[in-house]
Amino acid sequence: MIAEPRGMDLWQLLFTLALICANDSLPTSEVPLGEPQIIKCRSPEMETFSCHWTDGDVHNHTAPRTMQLLYMKRGDEEWKECPDYVTTGENSCYFNTSYTSVWIPYCVRLANENKVFDEKCFSVDEIVLPDPPINLNWTLLNISLTGIHVDIQVRWEPPPTADVRKGWVTLEYELQYKEVNDTKWKELEPVCSTTVPLYSLKMGRDYEIRIRSRQRTSEKFGEFSETLSVSFSMASEAVLCAEEIQFPWLFIIIFGTCGLVVVMFLILFSKQRLKMLILPPIPAPKIKGIDPDLLKKGKLEEVNSILASHDSYKPQLYNDDLWVEFIELDIDDPDEKTEGSDTDRLLSDAHMKSHSCLGVKDDDSGRASCCEPDMPETDFSASDTCDGTSDTDQSKKINEKEENLLCLDQKDNNESLTNLDDPANQQLISQSEDNQSKSPFADSIESPSPVPPVRTQLSNQSSVTNIDFYAQVSDITPAGSVVLSPGQKNKTGRAQCEAHTEPAAQCQPNFTMDNAYFCEADVKKCIAVTSHEEVEPHVQDQSFNEDTYFTTESLTTTAVNPSTAAEEASSSEMPVPDYTSIHIVHSPQGLVLNATALPVPDKEFMVSCGYVSTDQLNKIMP
Amino acid sequence: MFLTKKSVISLPICPSGSVNCQVSLGELFDRAVKLSHYIHFLSSEMFNEFDERYAQGRGFITKAVNGCHTASLTTPEDKEQAQQIHHEDLLNLVLGVLRSWNDPLLHLVTEVQRIKEAPNTILWKAAEIEEQNKRLLEGMEKIIGRVQPGDTGNEVYSSWSGLPSLQLADEDSRLFAFYNLLHCLRRDSHKIDNYLKLLNCRLIHDSNC
Repeated sequence: MIAEPRGMDLWQLLFTLALICANDSLPTSEVPLGEPQIIKCRSPEMETFSCHWTDGDVHNHTAPRTMQLLYMKRGDEEWKECPDYVTTGENSCYFNTSYTSVWIPYCVRLANENKVFDEKCFSVDEIVLPDPPINLNWTLLNISLTGIHVDIQVRWEPPPTADVRKGWVTLEYELQYKEVNDTKWKELEPVCSTTVPLYSLKMGRDYEIRIRSRQRTSEKFGEFSETLSVSFSMASEAVLCAEEIQFPWLFIIIFGTCGLVVVMFLILFSKQRLKMLILPPIPAPKIKGIDPDLLKKGKLEEVNSILASHDSYKPQLYNDDLWVEFIELDIDDPDEKTEGSDTDRLLSDAHMKSHSCLGVKDDDSGRASCCEPDMPETDFSASDTCDGTSDTDQSKKINEKEENLLCLDQKDNNESLTNLDDPANQQLISQSEDNQSKSPFADSIESPSPVPPVRTQLSNQSSVTNIDFYAQVSDITPAGSVVLSPGQKNKTGRAQCEAHTEPAAQCQPNFTMDNAYFCEADVKKCIAVTSHEEVEPHVQDQSFNEDTYFTTESLTTTAVNPSTAAEEASSSEMPVPDYTSIHIVHSPQGLVLNATALPVPDKEFMVSCGYVSTDQLNKIMP
Repeated sequence: MFLTKKSVISLPICPSGSVNCQVSLGELFDRAVKLSHYIHFLSSEMFNEFDERYAQGRGFITKAVNGCHTASLTTPEDKEQAQQIHHEDLLNLVLGVLRSWNDPLLHLVTEVQRIKEAPNTILWKAAEIEEQNKRLLEGMEKIIGRVQPGDTGNEVYSSWSGLPSLQLADEDSRLFAFYNLLHCLRRDSHKIDNYLKLLNCRLIHDSNC
């Protein structure tokens, strides 16, 4: 068609004109309707490509169809005809790999002998539209707890024509799905992998899935794959039920809240009575029978009495101080005493002892006594305040001195006290004669023997009795007098006297002064002194003995020894209930003691000055 | 679905100060492929934008008579040729094409700003392509240094002489020159991207991508 001698220039001019006339974009064409035109040219894998055209309106053309597709690529000098009209169907031209060059401009022309109908130019890399993926399938990922939603994983394979493995073509895929009844497809974002999860599909529905692919750098997608059907309609009934159940709950909640609101309004705006009924006021704390004013005024006695009426209440002493109420002795009823027993003797001693108290009597709960380690002889003057005859005082004095004197007498060691002997003995004798009723013991002793032996016996016995100033309280008579048990310390007392000679000198001053009771301090001193001399067992015994007696004025524990001493003493001697537990404390009247023996209390039981606090009492009470 | 700018730029090859830091060849290839893909993506978009804005109604010839300046470099044109060529040669070819585009891209950035009412997106893309091209070039040189140590080879590249056409007075001619250049850029970036993916699958994944 073109004159060859013109060469390239003319050819290029014509080519340029042809290109100018032609459209660069494939779809749009200015070919009039009814005319044959090239529909599209497509390469599925960038190795081959094909072009399709339409015949157009056949009827317009009388001449038989001799359509040709001519192509020309850069570097060619002439148009060439389509190498393959068959492979891709009718009205198409197929270019295999040998005819295909990528990144090279091509031009194709649809023409017959007379006329050029259409022409297109492109390069192969621009017309890549991959084939659809194949082998779509799905697997179940999980089902939600409610059983309504399902997650699945969809897999497929790349189109077989595209050489993805060698990397010649890089594809990405777009998945679309919809329910069977829907018309609109849902799209997912394009992915590069050949698998993708689908979330929240509904159980009981059927779905359709399709996938298409495109070359990653281009914009146009290839054709869709075959549709994959996913069916979940097995558990349809359960799904319906689950959905229906939801509604009643909503109604209930709404009506419930309305009702609550109505009730709240009623409460708030109703009468006082109703309010009281529903929301009663909280009462102030109060104990029955007790006027709070009582507590304010501090009348503890009344409070005690009221509280005592309560069963659960444990009577405690609500006194101002913690001292234990002392036991009041009734000395004026000798008839009630047991006669001829040690009790009387003890009582007499106790009587004497009580008069020799250091100001300890009824209302003085033993407070001021005993707490002074140094007991000056002024105590005797203090004893003047106590009730009692001078005789008793004297007898007491005599007895006090005689104790030591007698001990010393028997040893015949101490001369310093001999001065006191005669007058003491004489006084004792006289006293014993005078006070026969009060000292039957003396009488009993006195009668069979003459005076001197009596004296000695008396002295002996008085020594014993002197030692027995401390007696164990065994019972309290209804009249209020105390019944004491005899101390089994006669033998031991004497032995102690003998043993006590040496340490006695050191401890003497203290002992002479205060025979009635010992303080911790006193006893401690004695113990401390005596313990050094390795006469421990005896010392301990004596000290222990002294400690173990209760005074009649107060409940004092003069036990100061460490528990070891007590244990040793108790093991060496006969078992004696040294401490009696207090059964009941009827304040301020007296005590009732238990007969049972208690173990020696611990150190903590020891209180300074030998007084027991109520707390400690409670501890030892069973 | 396209790569974002972030994912391409964010990875340093070696932390600074490390002496014996050796990034694996696979890692280098992976980054190179990402870069080339990104460059092609930007080129494609830029061409489409330019085409929409300036080329409609002007009747620009899509397949320009004047071929691209890189046509002198003989590159494989189909899969068989690409598979037959030795990977070192192919790498050098890629390097040559990249080097050939250094100059044109530089001028494109400056000249495109002179286009009347050039949209910002085109300007930005031009600058981005130019920068990423340099980075890809560095990466390719590293890869070649690993694959073909010692032999830097002859630096083959095509020189570009199209600058005067970008500066023509006639607006139509000038725009046509731009159109041409952008078209060539799109095609060459696609070439490079494809070659690198091919090499990646062949060398790193043992032809089993």
